[in-house]
Amino acid sequence: MMDRRHFLELGAASFGAATGWPRIGAPHRVAANFLVPMDEAQSDHLKAYGLAYRLLARGGKAEWFLNYRSGSFLVPGDSATARDAALAGVTLEPVDDATVFQIKAEIAQANMDAVPLEKAPKVAVYAPPSAAPWDDAVTMVLQYAGIEFEKIWDEEVLGDKLRTFDWLHLHHEDFTGQYSKFFLNYNGAPWLQEMVERNERMARKLGFKDVPADKRAVAFAIAQFVERGGFLFAMCTATETLDLALASEGVDIAASFADGSPMDGNATAKMNWDRALAFQGARLEQSPSMALYSDIDGHQVNSPDRRQPLGSFTLFNFSAKIDPVATMLVQNHRQVIPDFYGLTTSFMKNRLKPGITVLGDEPGAPWAKYIRGERGQGTWAFFGGHDPEDAQHQIGDAPTDLSLHPHSPGYRLLLNNVLFPAAKKKELKT
Amino acid sequence: MIRRPWPMGLAAIFGWTVLSAQAQPQQPPDPATRAFDLERRGQHGAAAEIYRTMLANRPADLGALLGLERSLAPLGKVAEMVPELRRGLASDEPSGALLGIAVRVYAVAGLADTVRRVVDRWVTIEPKSEAPYQEWGSAALGARDRPQAKAAYRLGRERLGREALAGELAQLATIESDYDTAVREWLVAVEKTPPYRSAAISMLGQVAVAGRPTVLRHLDQANSRPAVRMAASLTMRWGDPVGGVRRIERAMPLLADQSVEALQDGLDELRGQPGREFGMAKGIALELLGSATPAQATRYWLESAQAYADAGDQGSARRMLSRLAADPKASPTMAASATSTLVTVLVAEGKMEEAAKQFGQLRGVLAEEERAGLQIRLAEGWIRAGKLDRAEQAVAQDSTVEGLAVRGRIRLYLGDLGEASSLMRFAGPFAGAREASVSRTTALSLIQVIDEDSLPALGGALLKLERRDSLGAAADLETVAAGLPPDRGGAEVLLLAGRIHGGLGSRSNAERVFQAVGGFKIPASAAAAGYELARILVTTERKPQAIALLEDLLVAYPTSAVAPQARRLLDVAKGAIPPG
Repeated sequence: MMDRRHFLELGAASFGAATGWPRIGAPHRVAANFLVPMDEAQSDHLKAYGLAYRLLARGGKAEWFLNYRSGSFLVPGDSATARDAALAGVTLEPVDDATVFQIKAEIAQANMDAVPLEKAPKVAVYAPPSAAPWDDAVTMVLQYAGIEFEKIWDEEVLGDKLRTFDWLHLHHEDFTGQYSKFFLNYNGAPWLQEMVERNERMARKLGFKDVPADKRAVAFAIAQFVERGGFLFAMCTATETLDLALASEGVDIAASFADGSPMDGNATAKMNWDRALAFQGARLEQSPSMALYSDIDGHQVNSPDRRQPLGSFTLFNFSAKIDPVATMLVQNHRQVIPDFYGLTTSFMKNRLKPGITVLGDEPGAPWAKYIRGERGQGTWAFFGGHDPEDAQHQIGDAPTDLSLHPHSPGYRLLLNNVLFPAAKKKELKT
Repeated sequence: MIRRPWPMGLAAIFGWTVLSAQAQPQQPPDPATRAFDLERRGQHGAAAEIYRTMLANRPADLGALLGLERSLAPLGKVAEMVPELRRGLASDEPSGALLGIAVRVYAVAGLADTVRRVVDRWVTIEPKSEAPYQEWGSAALGARDRPQAKAAYRLGRERLGREALAGELAQLATIESDYDTAVREWLVAVEKTPPYRSAAISMLGQVAVAGRPTVLRHLDQANSRPAVRMAASLTMRWGDPVGGVRRIERAMPLLADQSVEALQDGLDELRGQPGREFGMAKGIALELLGSATPAQATRYWLESAQAYADAGDQGSARRMLSRLAADPKASPTMAASATSTLVTVLVAEGKMEEAAKQFGQLRGVLAEEERAGLQIRLAEGWIRAGKLDRAEQAVAQDSTVEGLAVRGRIRLYLGDLGEASSLMRFAGPFAGAREASVSRTTALSLIQVIDEDSLPALGGALLKLERRDSLGAAADLETVAAGLPPDRGGAEVLLLAGRIHGGLGSRSNAERVFQAVGGFKIPASAAAAGYELARILVTTERKPQAIALLEDLLVAYPTSAVAPQARRLLDVAKGAIPPG
């Protein structure tokens, strides 16, 4: 992101004092505090997260009021915050110290909590260098909210650069190394050829015999990142394939187009689910032409026979004081959210390991939409589906313009994950 | 393409269920009803168990086998019904429907040889039917096995003759981009079963741009009636509507008694499509249709004239209307409609004297609403001709809101700002078309901040704008603005001049004027000018300057009407949302 002072210099050089648009003064106090409401009063829910993030990045402090007005933030009443909110179109409410005291008293007596936010997490997005900015939901929402992130790929992950980040996001990467199993159906498509060529080149560069071997090594490095205390958030097919890659050491689960040999016919029985983060006992899809991996996904969008229609999922209500992590991850102004497809849309509950927390599911359905768990010192969250505001995203569809969805409850769930590592750790009780 | 007998099976079961419930309302539901109810509630596993129980007693129960297949499909377990199926096939002389289930289930189970044996068995029962091959091919396609599907259809073709399974082979060839075969097979299919035409056009319509010339070449070579009609429809669908209609026109001798149907199909293809080209194509098709159906010629020619006029081809519209006027068979109502359209056409062409003459002859026979509408059009025509006195005469007696709105505009162009403001207020914000309404509201907001009641120079400048002399209007507006205090209209008038410069593509002038407006520091106009300037900066890839400007603007004027647009433009400039 470019330096603000640089903009002003350029602007002044071009337009000078002749223009009528006032220059910005030095930061100063304009109110005791600002409350950033996250209920219906908020004019841009998504950018409100960016406001909080940038405050932390500037060295400021904030508080996240869990379950208070749908997860509001308390931020300092300085001119920099006021200016940032004006630019972003984020609603602020000035509150004096006495009002803050009243709010905290209310929080103390209800299923609410106040969590200090202290440090802007360093965010990495796992994506190939050439990926378009609009390729995945998290990249889009981070850019829209104005949250800084860095793209990393196989070389950085295996080169141990992950240690420098607090938060890692995965989206539609296929960690089984099978190019989302589009190989046969999209054979000859330039984007697929480019993807294959790029992945094969990287695998060779890193000394792996094929792409599936490279991706499995990357999956293990990511699991180690979580074990060391990292925060992992994965969506869409990255969820399912990460676990498949972790559980398949020594088992050929890739079709011949990916590694030159057909998938092991007995692969399902040979999987070692102890290594996986979230799933167990899944049955693997044997057909190389079906863009499906296993029966982990409840919706099976690419199977004409098994595809399930979309419904809505409901977020669970957790005890803020006892389980602040889960509470943070489900902060929202909507509890029921329309579902959306992805290569992996949902997670069958009978395939979840014991101890996994379901954060959201479709009532009555055998699948969960949003889950979390822990591994070692770290924590992970899996969210099914591709784009919360494009329920049936197809290859080649126009990217989602988030300025048309500033209140998107689905995208809010992504941003809860981004701010979650900013919370002061001693407050996290799970 | 995939033919499944499920809907029929569902209907059969459902119908049977209803009858059963009516006959024995007090009885507990029978197993089939219970199973079907469980299916509807999504409890497929439980439903499958009931169907299995039914099949244990009656292995060839078609309803139960279909139900079991339906229940297992969502669970991904269709292959698990192979044992039940085998018992069903062994128990009795199987029907075609049962063999159809067998083909699908064995295909899902990956038992290709068994599928082939079932198809052969089915063929011995129904030797003339295409169904076995269709089901086999469909099942193969379901398993993404195109070669197998093709083999199935070709075997059927070999055994049943050259017209058999043409639709299936055509679809397969289209998917495989084998356009030679696709066109040939589609033509066979359409000749044999004309309703296939829409499927053929729908599928061929999706052919990629590179393959389209090949498709059209094959259709041209075929030179048959179905080929001509398909080529015409595809040409229209692929963005050359006039070319499509001309294809029909050229082939009318060949099409003979199918000409009218072909033109009507063409009109269906064009219906609802916006744009000049589609309007022109509609006009041509309607003109041809009128010539081909003398009994309805007047109606089609009138519609043709309207289509031509809407597409901006006033010459063709007038030609059609003259033809109508000379038609002794046209009814008085039709003739009046034609003349009314003619007046509109003449106004659009700027032939105001002739338009006024036609209107004068017609006004006695017109309905009140139509007469008022034409008067407004005449007045607008006179305004564009610069004859404001004639325009005022045309609507002098008109007290409708549309009439008041036009009178307000005339007063505005005469520089009578006081009267213009009153008339526009009376007209309100909703009179006339949306564009006119927006334009009126904009004008009203402009003159409201000006103290003078009379300002002919401003009226003259706005009239120039109305008469499409934008360059002259912008220059005159700048002059008018210079004579007004900035906070009493000077800034607003100058802002309008800047927008006209921008619309003309004169960026340097627009930038100069917008910067001057910003310098006045009048909140509403300064914010709007800042936004307009930022748009130019973004368009010309001067994004850092645009970002700085927009940030300053949003902080200085956070409640401005342009703040939401400015924020969005800021996101675009920063790359936070997709461009476009």
